[in-house]
Amino acid sequence: MSTLVYVRGYLVRLIIVTGCLSALISWYFVSPQADAMFTEINLINMNVSLFTLFVGIITISARYIRTIQARQKYWPYQLYAMVLMFLWVIMGTTAGLYSDFYQTAYLSTKITLHIAILGQLIFFMASGAYRVFRIRNLRTALFAIGAAAICALNAPWIATPFPQLDPFREWLLSHPGMAPGRGIAIAGAIGACALSIRVFLGLEKGALRATEAA
Amino acid sequence: MIPIILSEVGQLLRTGRTFQLIFVIVLGVLIAAAYILGRRGKMWEIRPLEALEAIWEGVGRCAEMGRPVMVLPGISGLGSPETLAGLTIFGEVAQRAAEIGVTPISAASSSEVILASEAIIRSAFTSAGKPELYATGKYVRWFGGDQFSYAVGAAGQVIADKPAMTLQIGYFLFDVIVAAETGSRVGSVQIGGTLGSLNMLAMFCDHVFIGEEIYAASARISRDIMATATIAGQDWVKLIVIVLLIVGTILGLAGNTELYKIMGM
Repeated sequence: MSTLVYVRGYLVRLIIVTGCLSALISWYFVSPQADAMFTEINLINMNVSLFTLFVGIITISARYIRTIQARQKYWPYQLYAMVLMFLWVIMGTTAGLYSDFYQTAYLSTKITLHIAILGQLIFFMASGAYRVFRIRNLRTALFAIGAAAICALNAPWIATPFPQLDPFREWLLSHPGMAPGRGIAIAGAIGACALSIRVFLGLEKGALRATEAA
Repeated sequence: MIPIILSEVGQLLRTGRTFQLIFVIVLGVLIAAAYILGRRGKMWEIRPLEALEAIWEGVGRCAEMGRPVMVLPGISGLGSPETLAGLTIFGEVAQRAAEIGVTPISAASSSEVILASEAIIRSAFTSAGKPELYATGKYVRWFGGDQFSYAVGAAGQVIADKPAMTLQIGYFLFDVIVAAETGSRVGSVQIGGTLGSLNMLAMFCDHVFIGEEIYAASARISRDIMATATIAGQDWVKLIVIVLLIVGTILGLAGNTELYKIMGM
């Protein structure tokens, strides 16, 4: 490992340790100094994120321009993306992000597209559910019955004429459904803490291997 | 002297967070203890993770079929531990793929994840002795920051490139359904891991990392003694949590709320 890479590796760890300590102290202790430091680090983080956004746009533009010039695969889509990207930048800077024009243009495209995708999700979920809920043994049979009951009891045409079935749906969701969910959440939170400590100690190689190759 | 120090520290603590702080300190101490034991030669074993074994088989399948391996780290930024876990696994998969001539591809939602993913792939090709194969923007695609644009874009990429294996490990919401179902339709082996949308991911995946397995996977992959030691410390903490759950349930059923009060709830 070259000296430069070594120094860069330790600089990253130093920044991580400083950031984490300020966040922890600010969260657990009443300390205006730690609060101020945490706020400052947050601002720096926002600036760096903004900078990476610019780097990302420049990288994407450079790549797309090359592809479009060479008429490589998917170049029309990339041209379309480039035009839209700069069009939205111009619209945002001239009309303002919170102007009626920008908001209407944004919401009328985004919301309609979202709704179109939500419509597709129903078919995707039905397709996935068909594979998952095929009854092959007792366990999958119980699984399928539970899922079918929750689906059916959430449908107004069943839930409305049979309100007495609602407690059963509630029980399925709040007992057999919630318990494993909470177990996974608790174990996940502990795992995230352990991952943070590994990052602290420089043991987590995969995500940080970029440092070694730089 | 000690009570005075404790009293002074107690006044500095924010209300209702004492138990949290003690818990974090215990977690750190136990992981440090496991780490020190690891340094002294204690060997820790992690049980085989089925999903992880399937990843290596999947990379081999990609090589046999001459199709790429696709890794999706989700829609969050680098601030999410799930994304970090996904990128960690991506690093190892990209490395293995580059070594045996499989093309690793990815799609990122946030700008910082794009940069990290590019760096990971560049590093993988460099480590595999094939730096000439790397080109910026060739392997990592960007479809916008919105969750559904990411999902639809990733699904389009799945249809276009037909990966023999798709890994979806990171932070996902409903968007996971679109890419995962598309992966199923092109016959891709699907391996997933997330926390919030695990139920949806499990519907479409052949193998899943359940809960904290996504965080343990990197230690298992690297087989690094020190990294594995932190998993041992994590398991000790889980034992403490289980004891707390049992004691809390018994006390709660008996009508005693002392533990809730101690925990600041």
